Amino acid sequence: MSGLSLPEKQNAGAGAYVILLLISVYCLVPFAWLIIASFDSNPTQFIRWPTEWTVQNYTRIFTDEDGGRWLINSLVVVGGATLLVVVLAGLGGYALSRITAWWKLPFLYLILLVRVLPHTALIVPLYKVLLTANRGIESVTVNLFGARAAREIMRYIGLIDSYLGLIVVLAAMQLPLALWIMKTFFDGVSREYEEAAIMDGANMIQRVRRVLVPLAMPGLAAAGLFSFIFAWGDFLTPLIFTSSPELQMLPLGLFRAFLRVNSIDYGLLAALALVYLLPSVIAFAFARKFLVRTFSGGVKG
Amino acid sequence: MALARHEKRRAWQLRLILAPSALLLLALYIYPALYSVYLSFTNEALVGRAAANPSFVGLRNYMRLFSDAGFWNSLWVTLIFVIGSAVIGQFVLGLVSALILRQRVRFRQIFNAIILLPNAVPEVVVGFMWIAMFVGGHRAVLNKVLEPLGIAPVEWLQTMPLLAIIIVNTWRGIATAMILMTAGLSSISSEVYEAARMDGATRWQIFRRITMPLLMPTVFLYMLVSTASTMAIFGVIYALTRGGPGGATELISIYIYNQSFAAFQIGYGAAGAVMALLLSIIIGIIYVRTMKVEV
Repeated sequence: MSGLSLPEKQNAGAGAYVILLLISVYCLVPFAWLIIASFDSNPTQFIRWPTEWTVQNYTRIFTDEDGGRWLINSLVVVGGATLLVVVLAGLGGYALSRITAWWKLPFLYLILLVRVLPHTALIVPLYKVLLTANRGIESVTVNLFGARAAREIMRYIGLIDSYLGLIVVLAAMQLPLALWIMKTFFDGVSREYEEAAIMDGANMIQRVRRVLVPLAMPGLAAAGLFSFIFAWGDFLTPLIFTSSPELQMLPLGLFRAFLRVNSIDYGLLAALALVYLLPSVIAFAFARKFLVRTFSGGVKG
Repeated sequence: MALARHEKRRAWQLRLILAPSALLLLALYIYPALYSVYLSFTNEALVGRAAANPSFVGLRNYMRLFSDAGFWNSLWVTLIFVIGSAVIGQFVLGLVSALILRQRVRFRQIFNAIILLPNAVPEVVVGFMWIAMFVGGHRAVLNKVLEPLGIAPVEWLQTMPLLAIIIVNTWRGIATAMILMTAGLSSISSEVYEAARMDGATRWQIFRRITMPLLMPTVFLYMLVSTASTMAIFGVIYALTRGGPGGATELISIYIYNQSFAAFQIGYGAAGAVMALLLSIIIGIIYVRTMKVEV
């Protein structure tokens, strides 16, 4: 080995490969079981090569169970929350990057600190807030459209046991991290672009549309992907804030199917778990490069 | 003059576009957090007499908390869980992976993807996957995998549940540690290494004397972030064990959940949450003070 070679250019030795392989086995074994079991016509919780392969476990998600609805509910709720987070964090992160005010740093640390509080502690107060707001919205709708129409309308604009309620709660939980990501991102975007646009007489909306949004795309993508992944994997929010079966999302569908102790259907569960897993793996594949950049930004200050 | 007016208008516009985020956080995050601090001083409950008419009880919830063996147990479980999974498991495996993967490795992208994969798995799916790994005596998948290494089969969730959830959480978080450590390693200038190599330093000496000291700020940042986030973990472990058997995996977040929603004592559960928050802050301050990190 020559004295000029840098550490990152060293060839990994055999020992390094053994360690890497062991870590990989650790990471992959649960997936191996899940994938094999989902195609096994007679699956068990034990890992084994199927005697007969089948895709029936997958079709049964949509025929025996209400899996299609769970999937659509999850996509609507998590997609809606992600969209809301991207818009709010894009605007808010830009503001936080440019504002000069005494409350800016305290605000940023406050939203970081609240994240540390176990979410199980926030649920009851959160429920009360939603309930109060829901009552307000309900009385307005009843007055405007009458009691019967109001019930239909509340499904969409109500906050309890509704899409909108789940969306705003999930969005609020992802917002602190997204605001931080966007604030840090805009800190790195030179003000000269905006100043040039101001000189050209562009107003606020034009500046946002022509200059800031195109510049902010990578940051928005990172914030959006992280929000999607965390909200998609979240279990507590759907557990607490949904009761009607029409609103059931994938995590609860999976959890409840698993709780039927005397008749655990491993094939169906494994297939369902894979269906649930796939969107977040895809999002993660896209998020990978942002992941490294976001965290290294944190390291370098 | 025109410029000053413009600046003033701009300041207002900035506040205006921050307002929706601030309001949402205030209503659904900050206010509930403060409200739960308030609740911890009341006997608020979901059922019974106190549910209709909650009253202020001062520090009674906290006194009860301190004399409750279940609370101390949950703190102890949380401590072991954080040390075992975040401080040791994820950190060591993440650092080792980062160190190896910055060398010239075949299939580096594939190894990278494999280590990142567990990170993408939703909480409930983690619970489901690992139950299948743990349960089933000598036929359980994990026991089969460990058999060639000469490790005797055990009923993981019965005999060593705490180790089991540490294994699961380590599995989930190697990637985060690896990513941070990779970023930290890449910020160490290669000239330092070169100089050391010139002086005839061995690999181990380089690691001990150069890499580790220069990596310390990253390590501390990682410890701070991962300790705080590991203390708040709920979904994964709840889906896996629901805190059992007999409280052996009842993390502080699960203890709060069980007190609030299984035992219906909201005020008491809130007191537990406040203690957890205080603990996180204290640990954060200790990290920052002793390690003098800039956060």
